[in-house]
Amino acid sequence: MNKEKFDRKIIIVDDEWQSPILRSVKRRLDEEGWQTKVVVPEGLMISGDDFEVEAMFAIESESPDAVLLDVRFGEHREDRFKGLSILRNIVEQYPHIPVLMFTQYVQGPDREAAVTGTLKWDSRVDFIDKLASPEEVVLRLRRLIGTAPETIPIGAYLTVDVNAKVIYVVNENRSLPVDDIMGTKFEIFFELASTMYRNPGEVVPFSKLMKYSEGEDPRASLRVRIREIKDAIGNVMGVHIGANDLIVNVRGQGYRMVSLDL
Amino acid sequence: MKKRIQILQVTKIGFAFVVLGGALLVLASPFLSEQLFANVWGVEPLTYVGVVLFVLGLAGISASYAFMDMLNEPQYSSGEENKSDSDWTTITGQYFDLFDHDLGRPLRRILGKQREVRENLKGSQDTKISDDVLDLMDEIERQAPNFRLMLANIRILVQLESPSEKVEFQPVEPVQIVQKIVDRYMHVAHDSKKQISWWADPSEFGLVYSDSSAIEHIVTNLVDNAMRFCTSEIEVRITKNPTHFFIRIWDDGGGIPSQYMQHLFDRGWTPEATRREEKISSGLGLFIARTLARKYGGDLTAESLTEPNDDHHTAFLLSLPLAGD
Repeated sequence: MNKEKFDRKIIIVDDEWQSPILRSVKRRLDEEGWQTKVVVPEGLMISGDDFEVEAMFAIESESPDAVLLDVRFGEHREDRFKGLSILRNIVEQYPHIPVLMFTQYVQGPDREAAVTGTLKWDSRVDFIDKLASPEEVVLRLRRLIGTAPETIPIGAYLTVDVNAKVIYVVNENRSLPVDDIMGTKFEIFFELASTMYRNPGEVVPFSKLMKYSEGEDPRASLRVRIREIKDAIGNVMGVHIGANDLIVNVRGQGYRMVSLDL
Repeated sequence: MKKRIQILQVTKIGFAFVVLGGALLVLASPFLSEQLFANVWGVEPLTYVGVVLFVLGLAGISASYAFMDMLNEPQYSSGEENKSDSDWTTITGQYFDLFDHDLGRPLRRILGKQREVRENLKGSQDTKISDDVLDLMDEIERQAPNFRLMLANIRILVQLESPSEKVEFQPVEPVQIVQKIVDRYMHVAHDSKKQISWWADPSEFGLVYSDSSAIEHIVTNLVDNAMRFCTSEIEVRITKNPTHFFIRIWDDGGGIPSQYMQHLFDRGWTPEATRREEKISSGLGLFIARTLARKYGGDLTAESLTEPNDDHHTAFLLSLPLAGD
C-alpha cells in the first residue's frame, strides 16, 4: 500500500482503544500516513471524566488536524453519553478541528436529539458507527478535513505527486515517473484522481472534462487523451490497460477512476 | 408526577421513623414511666403514646403505598390511547437503544478480530492463506453492512409503528447522503470485484427540503440489495425536476421475474419464501423503504428486465418532493 506523506495528526478518544476493531482503524490510519495519538488516562479506575480531561489536554498540546471520538465511555449512566460532553467542549474551544464521532445514533431522530445541542452551525462534525470498515473511516476523515493531500495513491501501483505534477508507477519499492503524462493529460488525470480520492465512485461528468478537450468532437478528443494516458502508464508498467481499467466511461455520463488491479 | 412520587417516598420514610419511635417508646416505657410520672394509670402513659405512634405510622405507610399505586396506574380514556402508544414506542425505542450497543458488541469483536487476522496474514510472507479462510473473512466483512442495516431497520420499524411519529423536514444535501452510502459499500464492492458509480445531474445539486435520515435509510436499503444481486455494476443517479428530486439505483443483475414484482414491497416477503427456501433476508427492507418514501410525500417504484436479455437490470426510483410537504 502506498503511504501518503503528509504531517496530519489525529487524536483518538475511545475507552475501547485496545479492542481489535479500534486497532484496525488505527492501523489503517497509520498506513494512510496519519500520526495517530490515542488518549489513555492513567489510573486503575478510569471514568469518562478522566477521558474528557485527557482529551482536552491532548488537543491543547498536540493541535491535531482531526479527532476521532466515541460517544460511549462505559456502562455507568453518566459515561454512556460522555462523548457528547467532550464533543461540546471541542466545538466550543476548538471549532476549527473536525471531529468524526463513533455513535450508534447515526440515523434517526435520536441523533438530532443527541447532538443538535452540541453543534454550532459551522461545526465540522460527522458521525459513523463502530461497525464501519477502516476504509470508510478514512474516507469520511478525508472529506471532513477537505484539504487536498500532497500525494494521491491510486491503488497499489500508482501515485500522483500533486506539487511536482508527476505520476509515478510504484513497483517493488521503486517509483518510476510516467514522463509522457504532462500538461493537459496530467490535468485530466489529476481531476479524476482527486475526485476518486475525495468521493470514491463519483463520476466526473463530461461537462467538467470538456475544458481539457478540443476540436469539433470534444468527447472524441477526450477519449483519445484518456487512451494516451492509459498507454503511457501501461508502457512504464509493461502491461496493457484496457477499456474497463483505471479510467472507465460510465454510460455516457462521464468518466471515473478505479484502482488498477493487476 | 415524578415530584409527587418523590414526596410520597419521603413521606413513607417519615412514617417509618414514626413507627420505629412508637415501638421504641413501648419497649422503653416500663423503665422510664416510673421516673417521669408520679401516678401510673394502669398502663404506663408512654406505652399509650408509643402504641398511638406505632399505629399512626403504619397507617401513614399504608396510605403512602396506596397513593403511589394510584399514581402509577395508567389513566386512559379514548383520548389518551395515543399517549399510551407513544409511551410504548418511546419505551421500546429506549430498550432498543439500550440493547443496540450490546447487540453490536459481539459483531464488533468478530469484525475487529477478522481484520487483525487478515492484516497479520497479509504481512506474513511465509503463510499461504487458503481460499476457504479468505472466503470466510470476506463473508464476515460482507455481512457487516447487512447487520448494521438490520439494526437500523428494526429501529425505523419501531418508529413507523408509532401513530404519533411526526414528519419533520430540514435542509438536506442528497449528494452528501449518497457519498456516505457509497463510502460504506465501496470496500465490499472492491473485494467482490464489483463497481459502484454515482453522479448528480446537475453536478452542483444543492439542497432539498426533506428528512436526511429517511433518505439515507431508503437508499442504503436499495444499495444493499443492489450489492447482493448485481453482476458487477451498480449506478446511483441523483436528478431533479421543478417539483421533485429523484435517486435512481440501477444494477446489472439478472432482474426480478414479473410474477415477483407485485410482492416486492410486501412486508416480510422474499423470493425465497415463495420458493419455500430458507430466507436469506428479512424481507423488511423494501417495505420500510417504500413506507418511509410515502410518509415523506414521495414514492418508491421498481422496474426490471430479466435475463436472457442483454440489457437485464433492475432499477429502483425514489422520488421525493423538493420542498417537503
